Amino acid sequence: MVIKMKTTGGFSILRPNRKLKIILNKGGQMKIQQTAFMLIAVTLFFILAGLFVFVLRFSNIKEASRMIEEENAMLLVIKLANSPEFACGNSFGNSRTNCVDGDKIMMLKEHITDYSGFWGVAEIEIRKVYPDSESTLCTLGNYPDCGIIEIYSKNVNKLPASSNFVSLCWKQDSDMGVYAKCELARLMVSAEDKT
Amino acid sequence: MKSKRAQEEMVGFALIIIIVSVILLVFLGFFLRNSNNVEIKSYEVESFIQSVLQTTSDCEDAGGFLSVQKLIFSCESLEECLNGKSACEILNSTLEKISEESWNVGEDTPIKSYELKILSENTEIFLLEEGNITKNYRGASQPFTRRGKDYEMSFNLYYD
Repeated sequence: MVIKMKTTGGFSILRPNRKLKIILNKGGQMKIQQTAFMLIAVTLFFILAGLFVFVLRFSNIKEASRMIEEENAMLLVIKLANSPEFACGNSFGNSRTNCVDGDKIMMLKEHITDYSGFWGVAEIEIRKVYPDSESTLCTLGNYPDCGIIEIYSKNVNKLPASSNFVSLCWKQDSDMGVYAKCELARLMVSAEDKT
Repeated sequence: MKSKRAQEEMVGFALIIIIVSVILLVFLGFFLRNSNNVEIKSYEVESFIQSVLQTTSDCEDAGGFLSVQKLIFSCESLEECLNGKSACEILNSTLEKISEESWNVGEDTPIKSYELKILSENTEIFLLEEGNITKNYRGASQPFTRRGKDYEMSFNLYYD
């Protein structure tokens, strides 16, 4: 007896019934094996890819902690100028945003020990940008004719500073009386480098 | 026949590998791009404009030294300062110096150029440009009014 059987590859001619059964079984087994190997290969591939990403992401935990510290400093620098300790409020006529009261800052600097650990950063300072970008540190003796007001500085390793522009204002004497003088400055915050 | 089937299977497998590799590369590209930090933050530009408008200029009138914001009004009215210089002249030199001192522009720096514009009722009354403009930029604008008239100062920083 001749049997014609349709397979995926075309027609094959088989003879006895027993042989047909064996061959059919073998074909099925092959298919299952192929699928299993394919599944194993794809799974292995994804596991390896996952491991690669995992290693890439978590190999640098120190760098991640550094970035978090820097981000905290950045978030602080955005809101610090408008906090009650720094803001001009209504001292110069109307309410102003990003305005820092220089006189208030100098007094804060004198009593900075009361604020130890309050902001959780390593350094806060204000650097004048315009009209004078001097590098003289401000003291009660030379203020406001100086360039840098170092409000707070811890003796530790510091990360690069995050900065924001502020208007540094104070009351200035002139022939016409007292007026509000504002200069462009950068408020700079550095986080501690714990790595 | 058998070898043809094997070839088909191999082609299928290769196709899957290629597709998965492309997906992985795209994913890796996004991953690496996210970790790239852009130097300029948009809040910096915003605070820059706000602070510039409050900065005291060298132009003095009967009421005292003018802020940059008041100097813009004086410039538009073509007024003169007590030292004899025109308000517009001082506005120009003040904004030029401020921008120069605040942003480090150059070929070797992240910032390639900047553009400062002042509009009055949507009409440009002041323009300051420095460097070559690129496709990427961070910008901000600050509107303000005087006697019902609308003004706007905008600042764009261009980088690579």
